[in-house]
Amino acid sequence: MSTSASLTERRGIPAASFVEDVQTYLSQLNLDVNSALAFLQERLQQYRVVEMKLLAQQRDLQAKIPDIEKCLDVVATLQSKKGTGEELIADFEVSEGIYSRACIEEAESVCLWLGANVMLDYSCEEATVLLEKNLENAKASLEVLLADLQFLRDQVTITQVTIARVYNWDVHQRRLRQAVATPSES
Amino acid sequence: MQQAGSSASETEVTWEDQQNINKFGRLNNRLHEVEDEIKIAKETNESLEDAGNELILTDEDTVRFQIGEVFAHVPKEEVESRIEEMTEKTSKNLVKLEEEKESIVAQMAALKKILYGKFKDSINLEED
Repeated sequence: MSTSASLTERRGIPAASFVEDVQTYLSQLNLDVNSALAFLQERLQQYRVVEMKLLAQQRDLQAKIPDIEKCLDVVATLQSKKGTGEELIADFEVSEGIYSRACIEEAESVCLWLGANVMLDYSCEEATVLLEKNLENAKASLEVLLADLQFLRDQVTITQVTIARVYNWDVHQRRLRQAVATPSES
Repeated sequence: MQQAGSSASETEVTWEDQQNINKFGRLNNRLHEVEDEIKIAKETNESLEDAGNELILTDEDTVRFQIGEVFAHVPKEEVESRIEEMTEKTSKNLVKLEEEKESIVAQMAALKKILYGKFKDSINLEED
């Protein structure tokens, strides 16, 4: 693995360039140590902001997936009752803490809430297909998101290590300069 | 950071080292996630066991079983088999998670050896 950073960015997130040698890095950027450290710290902050955003998106998706699975469960249950002549008796929440009984006979169709104040009628089979597609999309989005987060965290680690190395290099340089300025006692 | 400055020669960080450090970080994150998932799976198993016990104690023929957001009236036997199914699924998942955790811990130990070997005191890989 001789090549550094295989990607220069991923979906808008800039990759942190790996520093082979601190001295070369500083002269390439044409910055003194403090400016370089400030630049790197700012980069780190920007990464943190993006991380917060991605984590929020992750939480949303991770809440959405079990919801869709619950819907699929209900539709499957209604479907299994069809044709048996049996009715499904369910207790549901009318308002917080208040429940009422519903008797559902021969569920020909179900209504799905599509968002944006829109609810549509679907047959059980159509509903299942739609819900399964939504579930697949949600899981795929989550996978991409998790890969984004991994990439981001790698860039954060690289930046943190670079900051430490620039700082240490500076300390090392100061010691060398001091050693030259004050001749050794021995 | 002070300790690294005090060493006579600066240990160079190669791209390979950086990738090892990155990998360690990723594994550590995943370890925390897996540990949380294990906790949830264990709690779910416990709840299912409690539910199973309650079922044995009850003398009703119909049980209110939660499907989605509603409580459907389901015959006792069906509830029993549903709970059994759910328990099996959760247990299998738990085994898978424990195995993943073991693998992560082993990989992290191997990386620690490599990284501490090269950087000794200049690097800290412990949980704070």
